[in-house]
Amino acid sequence: MACSGGFILIGELEEVARKAAQWLVEKTPIKTIRDWGIRFSLWPVHFTTACCGAEFAATSGPRYDAERYGFLPFTAPRQCNLMLIEGTLTKKMGRAAKIVYDQMPEPKFVIAMGVCGLDGGIFWNSYNIVRPWQILPVEVFIPGCPPRPEAVARAILMLQEKIKKEGVKVEARGGT
Amino acid sequence: MKLEEVLELLKAALSGVECLIGEESGIPTVRVHPENLLEAAKKLKESGFDHVKSVTGLDYPDEGEIEVVYHVSSYTKPELTKVIVALKARVKRDSPKLTSLYGIWPSSAYLESETYDLMGVEFEGNPKQRRLLLPEDYEGIPPLRKDFKIPVEGVDAVE
Repeated sequence: MACSGGFILIGELEEVARKAAQWLVEKTPIKTIRDWGIRFSLWPVHFTTACCGAEFAATSGPRYDAERYGFLPFTAPRQCNLMLIEGTLTKKMGRAAKIVYDQMPEPKFVIAMGVCGLDGGIFWNSYNIVRPWQILPVEVFIPGCPPRPEAVARAILMLQEKIKKEGVKVEARGGT
Repeated sequence: MKLEEVLELLKAALSGVECLIGEESGIPTVRVHPENLLEAAKKLKESGFDHVKSVTGLDYPDEGEIEVVYHVSSYTKPELTKVIVALKARVKRDSPKLTSLYGIWPSSAYLESETYDLMGVEFEGNPKQRRLLLPEDYEGIPPLRKDFKIPVEGVDAVE
């Protein structure tokens, strides 16, 4: 590509820009700040699949106040980066969960709540359930039937620790 | 209202319909042939039973039949509010078809749909009949039938 100044650039301009942006984002100060920002802005999407949703609501309520961890329940999946599978997941609801998960922007995380999220719980060996870890990449499991709000808060802290330790992989979008 | 009084009332209400009235495990029961189900339901509605409490299917694989049970009761007649009557009809297991009672008791719409979903009994004339609890594209044996095999999991599972 010939420019007016007489320089010649070889290769795909968009690809070069993307690589440069990726290099910059992976550098230490920006990466640290970005991970810190993600850690304290985990917004879960409102997706109540079962009775654990009551405990989820109690966690965000004034008594346990999960918002102090940056945990703000939000309505639309497009603005959220965390998904809590609240209890058992039927096959029909599993499809909806997959659609909601696909709509969320990267980077995104999944927490599975209750023994139903682990291995079916009281619905173990049923014809109509699916385990969340079979269809979604679950980061943290919370055992309990249902788990106490403290346990949910603990899971949020564990996820924050995990992000701090392992970092988040973000695909930088370069070019136009 | 005592059981004997309910049975007397049922006998009076269902005169002219071919049916078997009796008491089964404490519940006044009316057994009818599937062809007479609609007529019996109409007569019951006229005598004050105005809603369906539940619709269930019972599978009898040895006899090759499925028994559909309607539990009916009343809101409008004070003496019938505490009475529950079972209306039973048996259909063939390989072609389970029954006339829907949606036209007589609208509260049976979703209950019949659930029976269709889990037992595979088809109700002709029910507008709400579709996959309700199972995935929309579910195919195969309905899960509450006796010959439905659930996968063996846990310590009993064979590799």
